Amino acid sequence: MVKITYIEHDGTAHTIDAALGRSIMENAVKNALPGILAECGGSCICGTCRIYVDGTWLARMNEPAANELAILDFVEEGQAGARLSCQIKVTEAMDGLAVRMPERQYA
Amino acid sequence: MSVTYENATRVLEPEMKELDEIDFFTDTTLPGNTNPYFEKLRARGPATRLPKREVIAVTGYEEGLAVLRNEERFSSFNAAYGPHPLPFTPEGEDITDQIEANRGAAATFRMISTFDPPNHTRLRFLLQGLITPNRIRDNEKFMWRLADDLIDEFIGEGACEIAFRLAQPFATLVITDLLGVPDEDRQAFRKLLSAPRSGGLGSLDGPSDPEDNPLPKIEGHFVRYIEDRRANPRKDVLTDLAFSKYPDGSLPDAEDVASLSAFLFVAGQDATVRVATAMMLILGEDQELQQRLRADRSLIPNFIEETLRLESAVKTGFRLAKVRAEVGDEEVAPGTTVMLCFSAINRDPKRFANPDAFEPERKNARDHMTFSRGVHSCIGAPLARAELRVMLERLFDRTSEIHIDETQHGPAGSRRVHYPPSYQMHGPTELHLSFTAKS
Repeated sequence: MVKITYIEHDGTAHTIDAALGRSIMENAVKNALPGILAECGGSCICGTCRIYVDGTWLARMNEPAANELAILDFVEEGQAGARLSCQIKVTEAMDGLAVRMPERQYA
Repeated sequence: MSVTYENATRVLEPEMKELDEIDFFTDTTLPGNTNPYFEKLRARGPATRLPKREVIAVTGYEEGLAVLRNEERFSSFNAAYGPHPLPFTPEGEDITDQIEANRGAAATFRMISTFDPPNHTRLRFLLQGLITPNRIRDNEKFMWRLADDLIDEFIGEGACEIAFRLAQPFATLVITDLLGVPDEDRQAFRKLLSAPRSGGLGSLDGPSDPEDNPLPKIEGHFVRYIEDRRANPRKDVLTDLAFSKYPDGSLPDAEDVASLSAFLFVAGQDATVRVATAMMLILGEDQELQQRLRADRSLIPNFIEETLRLESAVKTGFRLAKVRAEVGDEEVAPGTTVMLCFSAINRDPKRFANPDAFEPERKNARDHMTFSRGVHSCIGAPLARAELRVMLERLFDRTSEIHIDETQHGPAGSRRVHYPPSYQMHGPTELHLSFTAKS
């Protein structure tokens, strides 16, 4: 277990004990947190599980694969540090991670 | 503008019986529109035990989301089966092994929509490669041409039945294109999938006749395609499909890929057709809205979302508790059937203000669960949305006005539109329109 904090657009923070090996998205939805929609259930198709991660934490995550980048582009996500949370599995190195969530997951 | 459609288009229905007298799964006196029944259930709680069955019915949004997102506790074994007796007697505190041992009991237990992790996860991964932004863009180019070709077939007649003449062939041929079915075989697929079938999902007469299932025939075609492409690769979608690998890098059996491909044909057909007809019914009834959408096409996507919310073609879905679990405030034993009432979930007043009102500009229309949620959410959702948009836009391009055909459905204010009774499917399966073609 590692601690991950999910921060809503209005600043409300939710800290959970995240299960290793499950994605950042899965940990959010299985803990019924608001802010991540994950319409496609983690299939890297919908772009509604977007999070924003700052540089130091980004470096501890797997690089986005081509299909993740394609979706971020497809939904016109231009913000720095944007990732699809369904594509990042939680590891020990992410203990203390904080991620920010957009105001709306769809336009 | 907000308009309530509850009374405008439904047939005059008999008074609903008392809740405890109704068996939702067999009662033919229930109206085709079962929303009033669901509201009576909601009054008892967001998750409530049905009076005549061992089923927990969920009408609450948050409660439904919790079930759908927790596939480790709720199996999809019975997702398309409904409340019929299981092919085994649940025993013990975890029925996972029993579930997996009984997949052979009927075809319905061997569709990807009824699988559980880990088998489900690797099969779904194969589908991801088909629904990429590039594939959808290419497929959409095909959709525009297809819509024109199909409209060409009836535009000179001034009136037509839109489900059989447009929506159904459209949905079928879109999938043939997505999967790269050779041109020479596409009309055969169209015929195979337009044949009328008995029962249908959620028939009040019980589970449907296995003979009527077109899946095995379609699977046969795909096994041949895949074996051919594996032996003789080409630069085409079927070859990509034939060589798609599981997440662990292994190559699936041809039968498994074929089964998946065949499933796409049945998954995206009936539901798409019903939402398309529901959409045209709304626009036929509301000429002002129709003209507004014609004048500003950018309003169409959200109009479609609101249509999806209120006219969900799949009104119920099922799950099976694998272990002792909570559904809302109800504790359920392993082996309990949970019925998610999507059309009621989409009307939860805690999520949607003024939930029965049709508001084409509703900001959170897309919060609906018409495509379900969690690992089994409809992977074809982007396709369905594109199909509805393209069909509508092309109809707008080719006509100046569309009306409900009064000779078939009666005049405004006393329409007759048939909603085939089903405990799972909602929506008209036919709709007659009259239109003025643009020259």
